Amino acid sequence: MLLSVVFFPALGQDLLRAIRVALDEAYRSFSREYGDLIESLFDPLLYLLIWFERLLLASPWWVVLIVICGTCYGMTRSIKLTIITLATMFVIGLFGMWDDTMRTLAIILVSTLITIVLGVPLGIAMARSDKLQVIFTPVLDIMQTMPIFVYLIPVVMLFGLGKIPGVIAVVIYAIPPVMRLTSLGIRLVAEEVLEAADAFGTSAWHKLVQVQLPLAMPNVMAGINQTIMMALSMVVIASMIGVRGLGQPVLEAVTNQYFALGLFNGAAVVALAILFDRMTQGYGRRLRSRQ
Amino acid sequence: MKQVESRALTGAWSRKYPALVIGLATLASAGCSVESDCGVVTIAEMTWQTAAFTAHVEQIILESGYGCLAETVPGNTVPTVTSMVERGEPDIAPEVWLNSVRPVVERGIEEGRISIATDIIADGGEEGWYVPEFAVEQYPELATLEGVLSRPDLFPDNEDPGKGRFYTCPPGWACQIINENLFRAFEMEEAGFTIFNPGSGEGLNGAIARAHERLEPILAYFYEPTPLTTRYPMRMIESVPHDPATWPCMTTLDCQNLAPNMYPKPVVRTLVTTSFAENSPEAYAFLSRVSWTFDFLEQIATWQEENQAIARESAVHFLKNHEEVWSAWVPEDVADRVRAGL
Repeated sequence: MLLSVVFFPALGQDLLRAIRVALDEAYRSFSREYGDLIESLFDPLLYLLIWFERLLLASPWWVVLIVICGTCYGMTRSIKLTIITLATMFVIGLFGMWDDTMRTLAIILVSTLITIVLGVPLGIAMARSDKLQVIFTPVLDIMQTMPIFVYLIPVVMLFGLGKIPGVIAVVIYAIPPVMRLTSLGIRLVAEEVLEAADAFGTSAWHKLVQVQLPLAMPNVMAGINQTIMMALSMVVIASMIGVRGLGQPVLEAVTNQYFALGLFNGAAVVALAILFDRMTQGYGRRLRSRQ
Repeated sequence: MKQVESRALTGAWSRKYPALVIGLATLASAGCSVESDCGVVTIAEMTWQTAAFTAHVEQIILESGYGCLAETVPGNTVPTVTSMVERGEPDIAPEVWLNSVRPVVERGIEEGRISIATDIIADGGEEGWYVPEFAVEQYPELATLEGVLSRPDLFPDNEDPGKGRFYTCPPGWACQIINENLFRAFEMEEAGFTIFNPGSGEGLNGAIARAHERLEPILAYFYEPTPLTTRYPMRMIESVPHDPATWPCMTTLDCQNLAPNMYPKPVVRTLVTTSFAENSPEAYAFLSRVSWTFDFLEQIATWQEENQAIARESAVHFLKNHEEVWSAWVPEDVADRVRAGL
């Protein structure tokens, strides 16, 4: 009795063990029952990922470079940044990291696309309903702070190792900023502007697409920017469940204590991050200056 | 407690901050219930389950039985053994699979920096290429390498349709290089296989668990004993016998003389730093007697798997229920103190 004053009166070891075993069994039978079905739902995504990766790997390097630099110029209208992008990608290729960079690029771009397609509408819903905001906020908090391997274990049980669990991990980790900032951006649109829109008899849909979203765009872009950054920071973690790309050499370098190999590939991830960051920020700035 | 000063806190520190060192040493001795000259002992807790279990068993006995300030530190074979040879830390690596660090260990022993305390798994472990037991029952040809190579369709790689997937070792494991060489020596690419890096030990375990839950065959490098294989029985595929003559080349990156080969029976030993063996003869005497068989360790692993236990719980379970095993390793008074501490 006295002991429970000093030590926390935790449940007994045996009971705790029973709880763990029961939960584990429950999940196992769930994955046995529905694993195939859930996995087949994700097949189109897998084909998209494989197709996109093969496209990037099979295209001649200069075609990929032209597309990347073209996108950069189109988004930022900055000659300087385009030249920096060209030089960076060139150095990456020179150091023999082209293929891994393409693999990373493929999974990051597809993950980002999914994040935007899911995140922006959810963010809009969050902005329009206080009830949803109350529900989503703690969920987003959990997604951002839950140690990644905790949910990777069940995800691997369902999908096996490779791209799909990688994308799921990246999306779970990277979707909160775009949802939060989309919601914030829409909520920040001035009341007077909305009243003016109402005065013109605008429908709710038109008000959203023509007034609220354009005004919220800089915030949405900031959210997308953060999302890409967070997706790139997941590259190494994703490689721990068999996603190929720049993460695997980093992992190899860390576990074998190869300093230079880790530095090269780590630098390539950073370079990609900075390029994406400047591109999306440049695009956001252009949107703002247009308003 | 002089060991605490001289080993836990390096000379440079005690010269710079004498007051701090004395303070810490006092603190340290306050936490030490039994008077002894054992001092601070660090034990490497490797990432796989049996090694972690062993580390905790030794930690508990050293702490409550010998009055050491024993602590486990996370480790992995190559970095830990290298660090023991180069820097004399940690003191103990309870379960080292010698195949994966042989050159470092041989050099360390030659230079007198580390020594072998015991064959921790008396009859050795197992490692090699495995397929699930159920898969062999369903497709008997999977019992041999030849049969496996003729059926890439049974191990479909969903990221490379039409090919069979071979799960190799995660980065940092010595078997990664060996598997790559074996993969080429067996001409598996020509046979329609891809080599897939699972990224981490956890990833490899997850892939094997999933394959069993779905009843899908899987071809993977694995090792025994582990809790996982007690739940999901795996069978090592029969292939060519181990050939010591061509093996050294097969363990090196860019081996030019590839020849079909397979893993030798792994020797699993406890390594300690020489300074620990010399400074703590009693603790060393205990460590050199710790040993169990493959079957016994598998029995522990089964209990761990069935109870979803972590290494520490397994260690406590072992000390409580298998006194006949461990009491033979230590003098009577030490055994009494360990019992009292449980």
